[in-house]
Amino acid sequence: MPATTEYQGSSFLGRISIRRNQVVSMDGHHEQELEDLDLFQRNIADRFSELLSARPPTDGGDGGGDSSSSAASADAPFLSVAWLRKLLDVFLCCEAEFKAFLIMGRERDPSVIAKPPLDRLLPELLDRAVKALDVCNAVMHGVDAVRHCQKLSEIAVAALEQQPIGEGQARRAKKALGSMLALLAAEDKDSSGHKSTERTWSFGRRGGSAVTNKDRSAAAQFRTLTWGVSKNWSASKQIQAMSANLVVPRGAEASGLALPVYIMGAITVFVMSALVAAIPCQERSGLAMHLQVPKQFGWAQPMTALAEKIGEEWKRKEKRGMAGLMEELQRMERLGQALAEFADPFQYPAEGERAEEAAARAAELAETCRRMEEGLVPLQMQIREVFHRIVRSRSEVLDVLDQAGKLSAPTL
Amino acid sequence: MDSPEKSLHSPMPIDDAEELILRWDSTASEDAREKMIFESHRDEIDRYLRAVDELHRSMSSVSLSEGGGGGGGGDEQGDKVSSTVQIAMARLEDEFRNILLSHTSPLEADSLTTESSSSVHSSISSADGAEVHLYVDDDSTHKGLDLSSDEVKAESSRRSSISYRSTSSIREIDLVPSEAVYDLRCIAERMISCGYLRECVQVYGSVRKSAVDASFRRLGFEKLSIGDIQRLEWDALEVKIRRWIRAAKACIRVLFASEKKLCEEIFYGIGTKIEDACFMETVKGPALQLFNFAEAISISRRSPEKLFKILDLHDALMDLIPDIDVVFQCKSAESIRVQAAEILSRLGEAARGILSEFENAVLREPSQVPVPGGTIHPLTRYVMNYISLISDYKLTLSGLIVSKPSTGSRYSGDPTIPDMEFAEFEGKSPLALHLIWIIVILQFNLEGKSKHYRDNSLAHLFMMNNVHYIVQKVKGSPELREMIGDDYLRKMTGKFRQLATSYQRATWVSVLYCLRDEGLHASGGFSSGVSRNALRERFKAFNAMFDEVHRTQATWLVPDPQLREELRISISEKLIPAYRSFLGRFRSHIESGRHPENYIKYSVEDLETAVLDFFEGYPVSQHLRRRSH
Repeated sequence: MPATTEYQGSSFLGRISIRRNQVVSMDGHHEQELEDLDLFQRNIADRFSELLSARPPTDGGDGGGDSSSSAASADAPFLSVAWLRKLLDVFLCCEAEFKAFLIMGRERDPSVIAKPPLDRLLPELLDRAVKALDVCNAVMHGVDAVRHCQKLSEIAVAALEQQPIGEGQARRAKKALGSMLALLAAEDKDSSGHKSTERTWSFGRRGGSAVTNKDRSAAAQFRTLTWGVSKNWSASKQIQAMSANLVVPRGAEASGLALPVYIMGAITVFVMSALVAAIPCQERSGLAMHLQVPKQFGWAQPMTALAEKIGEEWKRKEKRGMAGLMEELQRMERLGQALAEFADPFQYPAEGERAEEAAARAAELAETCRRMEEGLVPLQMQIREVFHRIVRSRSEVLDVLDQAGKLSAPTL
Repeated sequence: MDSPEKSLHSPMPIDDAEELILRWDSTASEDAREKMIFESHRDEIDRYLRAVDELHRSMSSVSLSEGGGGGGGGDEQGDKVSSTVQIAMARLEDEFRNILLSHTSPLEADSLTTESSSSVHSSISSADGAEVHLYVDDDSTHKGLDLSSDEVKAESSRRSSISYRSTSSIREIDLVPSEAVYDLRCIAERMISCGYLRECVQVYGSVRKSAVDASFRRLGFEKLSIGDIQRLEWDALEVKIRRWIRAAKACIRVLFASEKKLCEEIFYGIGTKIEDACFMETVKGPALQLFNFAEAISISRRSPEKLFKILDLHDALMDLIPDIDVVFQCKSAESIRVQAAEILSRLGEAARGILSEFENAVLREPSQVPVPGGTIHPLTRYVMNYISLISDYKLTLSGLIVSKPSTGSRYSGDPTIPDMEFAEFEGKSPLALHLIWIIVILQFNLEGKSKHYRDNSLAHLFMMNNVHYIVQKVKGSPELREMIGDDYLRKMTGKFRQLATSYQRATWVSVLYCLRDEGLHASGGFSSGVSRNALRERFKAFNAMFDEVHRTQATWLVPDPQLREELRISISEKLIPAYRSFLGRFRSHIESGRHPENYIKYSVEDLETAVLDFFEGYPVSQHLRRRSH
């Protein structure tokens, strides 16, 4: 993984591997454990604060887009593809540290696994992992859908970049944008439940005939093909189920592995729900972004703040109707609509101001496509990496449980 | 671009070309909307394609003469041409879609999964409804990619014949008849040269994707999430795994391979790797879904009963990997190849995990209620059936099991784990060591269970039965016998013989003790000095003991008839001569007294018959009834 390096510099893992080979006195254990836990939580707080500090996306509108692309690679506006990749990096780092906890905890005392509260918490963790895997798969498909839209936008860009724009090219752009917007509408319709077949999609009114029946059916076809899961699978229900049994350990339970298991659970739920909100995904109605994390944790503040920010965006989304909160996707949607309006009652030659405006939008759309082109494949690879990491951790936890003889006895 | 024959035609004047294209503008006339060019006469098709070529040529010359400057007058003409080109492209896109759509009926599932010669005589309908014969005529196998030659066209006019008798190797089907492929390629060439590559790929992807998806579903793949699969009962999952294995072969070797071939036939050589992009666009979704199932199985909770189906899945996938590598050889499909390899290794890991989980379960199996009659414990049967199945998977498992079992040793001092010294088993494979280890821990567990019998004799008999069963099971499977090895088998044979001796000692020493001479002679005198009272007590004691042993041990079980027979013979060999000689020596002393029948209850023959009741598992009264029949 290319981007994960920035956090791995922290000596946390290194220290663990050294200490595992040392014989530490029993008293030293507990103190060390508290220290590790503290470091773990401080790292999480730092990482989420950094995610929180991402600047809001420039509201493209007339600003002509921030094509100052030299800085763009280092910069990752909130909910942009680059930001989502950072988010996944954070997940991967936290996950690695969490696993180290698990291994150390087991080495200290193998029997804790089979005793309360872990005998309950670990199976819950396994269950949560399976749900997270399905979310990963759904989101993978979602990115494919976004890529599809990107390809259609690229057609429009190719057509509108001609100078001056002729009638033929305008028609071509209109057609591609029509398909793209129909596709997004279908994604949105799909993702916010099956409540109505004719949803409040504004394009039909504004774009007139641009969305032909053929495009609609093609989009619908595309949509049903995308999802790899059964029809009644719901991303929001999945997220809900993941957080349902997530309870802060209290009292005696709060020592040992219970707290790290809880923390990792909270991170998983947050990251998965952020992905679901950002990327088109099957059935997201009622997606809840409010995370109940007690304030006493240092990392709770930035994580809750992020969740609230995303939650607000999500509410706006549900009102306006759009396929996902991904910054580039929203931009693409907005530019696509504007350009489709430009191209539909097209008069040749386009007069000055309108033409300039359209050219600026086309350039911004081109830039958006370029960022997607650069970012979406790595994003998919990263989602895949997250998938693998969860799978690997899951098998390791299974191993741990097997060794504790917890799952074994009665099955013969 | 076209066949040499056609380029002999005189070039079409640009005005004629434009007129022809506008005539077919579907937004302009009803007629143009209703009819399809590629469904009309061949001449019209060729004319239309030449018109597009002409237009393309003039468009490039316009932009060439303009340079980058862009003069006023040229613009208008350029726009007119470009607008006409756009009309032509929209038209070609529709034509392209229409041709594709008319050849998208999904493949028949049974045709895809045809596995053996049993279906040689069946014929199946291919995509276009043509009859497809299962045996190939040779020339249809050398389908070159040079589709522009007339030879290809001539060949394509015949019915396509294909062969997929089995799915043990890649078998491509003509999803679209070759004349249609030729048309598609003609259109693709024009769209791509005019800069409409993206549109072409979009249309291709959207149509083929739904065709692939329909065939995919016909193969019986369901949309199941990983969570769904974890929740399924194992029985249901077993069925699905079996189905998956069959369908996956057809999916990779027929369905995906044929899609790839179609992409190549249409797009190869036109642009850079367009065929790869199109192929991935079409099959990526189904491919991910295909692997998702195996992935979900590979991470499911490990329990012993899953081992063999997981090994089946592993074998099937391993078998498919070379073909996956061929079908998905392009760069953009790398992730799919990687994923397949990862799943394979995870399935291997799961198999290893299950084996160690199984060992753990054998060691810790907690049931304490003794099996009645000291017969074979269900655990023994289960474990032995299990490991003979393991030996059936020897080939696969030898590759997967590469480390020795984690056993106890003489020095570990852990009383909950038995010892096993590897030094005794030098040269054995890790898999064989695991099997021996499983037998060791099975016996260890059984020994623990035997302690729950209150009767020591029965404990020995129980162990004897079970060890004997283990030996028989190993001998019954050549694979298993070879792995376990004759040395260990001899050791185990010695062990159950020893147990048989222990049983006899525990039961019969005290019985036979009644038949000793010592203590019968009053004041150490001669035969005349036999104490009748002592003798009577002896006979009574013997009778009571034998009665008791007879009554209880008739209900005990030695299920193996030969072992049972041997054991009875062994008992008789000790009991009968001893009784006969005891009776011979002392009978007269009893018979000369009163009520001899009270003391001599058994004749020698009675005892011989009674011994036959032993280890049959019925109460004595039933034996009597049985015997009277």
